[in-house]
Amino acid sequence: MRRFMKLSRKTLGLLIIVMMLLLSGGPGWARTLTVSQPNQQIYQEANFASTPLGAVPQGAKVNLIRQEGEWYKVDYQGTIGWLHRQAVPEAAPAKMDLSKMLFGGPVKETGSDEVALAGKGFTPEVEAGFRQKNPGLAYAQVDKVETFGVDQAQLQKFVSEGGLNP
Amino acid sequence: MRATSFGPTALLLMACLLWGCSGVSLDLPSSVQPAAQIAAKTGAKAIHASRPISDSEEYYVGRAVGARILAKYPLYQDQEVTRYVNKVGLTVARKSSRPNPYRGYHFAVLDTPEPNAFACPGGTILITRGLLKNCATEDELAAVLAHEVAHIANKDGIKSISQARWTEVATTLGTETAKQYGGSAGQMVTLFEGSIDDVFKTIVVNGYSRSAEESADREAVSILRKAGYNPGALAAVLTKMSGKEGAGGIYRTHPPTSERLAKVQSLAPASSASSEKEAVRTARFQQLKI
Ligand SMILES: [Zn+2]
Repeated sequence: MRRFMKLSRKTLGLLIIVMMLLLSGGPGWARTLTVSQPNQQIYQEANFASTPLGAVPQGAKVNLIRQEGEWYKVDYQGTIGWLHRQAVPEAAPAKMDLSKMLFGGPVKETGSDEVALAGKGFTPEVEAGFRQKNPGLAYAQVDKVETFGVDQAQLQKFVSEGGLNP
Repeated sequence: MRATSFGPTALLLMACLLWGCSGVSLDLPSSVQPAAQIAAKTGAKAIHASRPISDSEEYYVGRAVGARILAKYPLYQDQEVTRYVNKVGLTVARKSSRPNPYRGYHFAVLDTPEPNAFACPGGTILITRGLLKNCATEDELAAVLAHEVAHIANKDGIKSISQARWTEVATTLGTETAKQYGGSAGQMVTLFEGSIDDVFKTIVVNGYSRSAEESADREAVSILRKAGYNPGALAAVLTKMSGKEGAGGIYRTHPPTSERLAKVQSLAPASSASSEKEAVRTARFQQLKI
């Protein structure tokens, strides 16, 4: 990201075109994502409430077909469906913003600033600085709470046993 | 820098300024340029000033707020209760207007008799054993959790970051871009710290605005309906809570229970078990060691 700033606007434009070609994925340019989080599912639609098509193990590589908001349409070993970006958090910010810019309309002059700022603001680095200044905070507990969850099958069982709406 | 306190109108105005009221821009004549174009002409600062907080930034704020709350209250270590609360919570969150925040919803129980619940921006919801004990059925617990989910869906916590501070975040970002991210990282940490103070003050100390509470109650009733829970469960749990205002906690941060109850009753009056299945749910709730 930092390197972008040293480029002239013209070079940046060229770079964006190249990246657009990469992202649009001609043959041989298919982008793969590596699932870095445990307990991830592929869904029929870009929606957690839709039918899960199957689990994707941590470390699995999936082929990216396209992207819509927070969801990636992927092909994982022949299963085609939607994977939420929570499965690949590190792939998210910069590329998300870039592709939104590319596919969401013409590239404006302000675009280069947006590219540079993507992933800035309140970032993991800012959190690290904050934690250093406030060592008494219970971040370990927060990390623990973030592991709390229920897998799709268990949740469906709970819902149906309780006579609730699927 | 301290946050100034705003009245409800100022808050609403601030929310509009910060988050952009689509309703307002729709009403503008077509000759008025969209904000982005104006920003493009007036320079980078204007864009950044109206830059909305991203889902990941909201998530980091939520983690910090959670870390402050969890420094004050220990987690209840009962895994069965925790798993159950997550099941009920996810069942209602799925049916909310924001079913999938950045890193999903997570629910945890705090080991304190003080009746309270906290919706940390981004999706972590903490409920105390004291408040759990106030619930007699799964449907009542679902009602409480649906109300907290609604606060997250409506971004009520994150909206309490003061406008001045958020503008400064934007300005600092502009400067950092110019300096190629040199030197002012410490300033961003200070602004982050201040933002945590703003959010903490709202969700733990002062409470949200009355209108935010009203819409969270309204959305909770609608979530209960969509999920298949008894929509009257919110009125039922509020009935149980009314008259206990001296207990602090959630009573300090929320409008008088009687006032909420009157409105909620008109949306969905409390009723006895609406189905056989509700009894099944109540039975599994009553098995828990709360
Ligand atoms: Zn509330």
